[in-house]
Amino acid sequence: MHNAASRRSIWSRAWENHAPGYLFLLPWLIGFIGLTVGPMISSFYLSFTNFDLLTPARWVGLENYQRMFTNDRNFAASLRVTFTFVLFSVPLKLAFALVIAILLNRGMKGLPLYRALFYLPSLLGASVAIAILWRQIFSGSGLVNQFLANFGIVGPSWISNPNYSLWTLIILSVWQFGSPMIIFLAGLRQIPQDMYEAASLDGAGKWRQFWKITLPLLTPVVFFNAIIQTINSFQSFTPAFIISNGTGQPINSTLFYALYLYNEAFSFFRMGYASALAWFLLFLIACFTAFSFLTSKYWVHYDD
Amino acid sequence: MLYPLLWLLAASFKPDNQIFNTGIWPSADWSLDAYFRGWNAMRVSFSVFFMNSFVIAILSIIGNLMACSMAAYAFARMEFKFKNFWFAMMLMTLMLPSQVTIIPQYVLFRDLGWINTILPLVVPKFLAVDAFFIFLMVQFFRGIPRELDEAARMDGAGPWRIYWKIMLPLSTPVLVTAAIFTFIWTWDDFFGPLIFLNRMQDYTVTLGLRTFVDSTGESDFGGLFAMSVLSIVPIFLFFLIFQRFLIEGIATTGMKR
Repeated sequence: MHNAASRRSIWSRAWENHAPGYLFLLPWLIGFIGLTVGPMISSFYLSFTNFDLLTPARWVGLENYQRMFTNDRNFAASLRVTFTFVLFSVPLKLAFALVIAILLNRGMKGLPLYRALFYLPSLLGASVAIAILWRQIFSGSGLVNQFLANFGIVGPSWISNPNYSLWTLIILSVWQFGSPMIIFLAGLRQIPQDMYEAASLDGAGKWRQFWKITLPLLTPVVFFNAIIQTINSFQSFTPAFIISNGTGQPINSTLFYALYLYNEAFSFFRMGYASALAWFLLFLIACFTAFSFLTSKYWVHYDD
Repeated sequence: MLYPLLWLLAASFKPDNQIFNTGIWPSADWSLDAYFRGWNAMRVSFSVFFMNSFVIAILSIIGNLMACSMAAYAFARMEFKFKNFWFAMMLMTLMLPSQVTIIPQYVLFRDLGWINTILPLVVPKFLAVDAFFIFLMVQFFRGIPRELDEAARMDGAGPWRIYWKIMLPLSTPVLVTAAIFTFIWTWDDFFGPLIFLNRMQDYTVTLGLRTFVDSTGESDFGGLFAMSVLSIVPIFLFFLIFQRFLIEGIATTGMKR
């Protein structure tokens, strides 16, 4: 009797304490369970099956993964392309973003306008329109070759030459350095001016100030930008799709991992195999992220 | 830096036989021909594509602002069991590549009969799948003095009132930032529409442009460039109008722990 009453009060108190929070969280929670966790479990299962959307999935065990690692030249090519893309585009993009952010932070006149202009390519960069423009600029009779012709150089058709096609996409990615630049700018704002003043009283030049003050204090921001940009680069899709017409040609030189996965899933309806590809991508990104966080304590300085 | 963009703009006003003269200066006999030609080049005109893109973008903004701010308020200001666990889960989804969930999602939406409607592109936004914005808003909400909540609670306000009357009005910068990014990302989104929309009358601007390249693009560069310019204009305007808020919003969500 006494017990029942106190138990009810425990429950009602728990309800009063926790229900409002869960009510606010509800939309996210439904989305998380229904659109993230559920599909993750489902695609993990599908990666061990053959599934073409029309007939029920058929269990094949590790066959998809075996084929991926031992018998799929396109998979190997797409990994090579994607790693090359990530390795070159991310550091170049971050370096550009940092240099421009420092220049802007020196207090150029008309700052907001400059900032907007530098940010513009990034704003538009992911769009189909820009990919179409890129295709034109780097074609055989495009802008780049017309420019080179002024110096008597006959340029190749960059986008249809497998030696250069990936580089046009790397350049496009670097051209969109606006987002990391804005975040660098925010980071630069938080560095107290008097540190620089003290350093220049001690006779440290601009270069020394950069290496001793700016860079160490910015490491958290560099770290944040590097993680975000790398994860995004691994999943790059639209530019390669537009420039190669969805094929990843010439000779698979623009076959980004996400493009290959898309074709497997939605052109050939090999959903099981595509799920295996997706899980391997998740594994790659997880490894990279874990590695970054583990090594971050050796080079990222938090000042607290 | 901006040369390619200026070149594109200039080329869209040139008569066809002069498009590939280098230089970003409009030719003497510039015209709007390419715009009229491109607008109606296909079976479905670009008015339809623009309409579709706007509908998706606006619904997405509403969904993201509502659902993400509610979740962020729960994480930043409410106490409930397993809060830290859910928060960690939310951060994990930031790193999750969409490819891992897209196939089962496709099957789910197909079984619901949502393929070739805007629902697969919009409904997830009302369920706060863009965790990035939750994170951004949590950071911002934490910076709002707790004394304000306390004072309101003394006056007998419940969590809903505090959320509506205090949190949201004080969070304009971060809400505007989320709205801008939602607009740009959904306007530019290519992968989602490519998968879920197969009928031309449902196409967004991005799909319309891509179809243009495939069907007439190689022969009608003027029309293609003109439509490319138009597809960029809404983003450009949005950015120009709101960029003051944008910087503020990002700069105040410090990256430092």
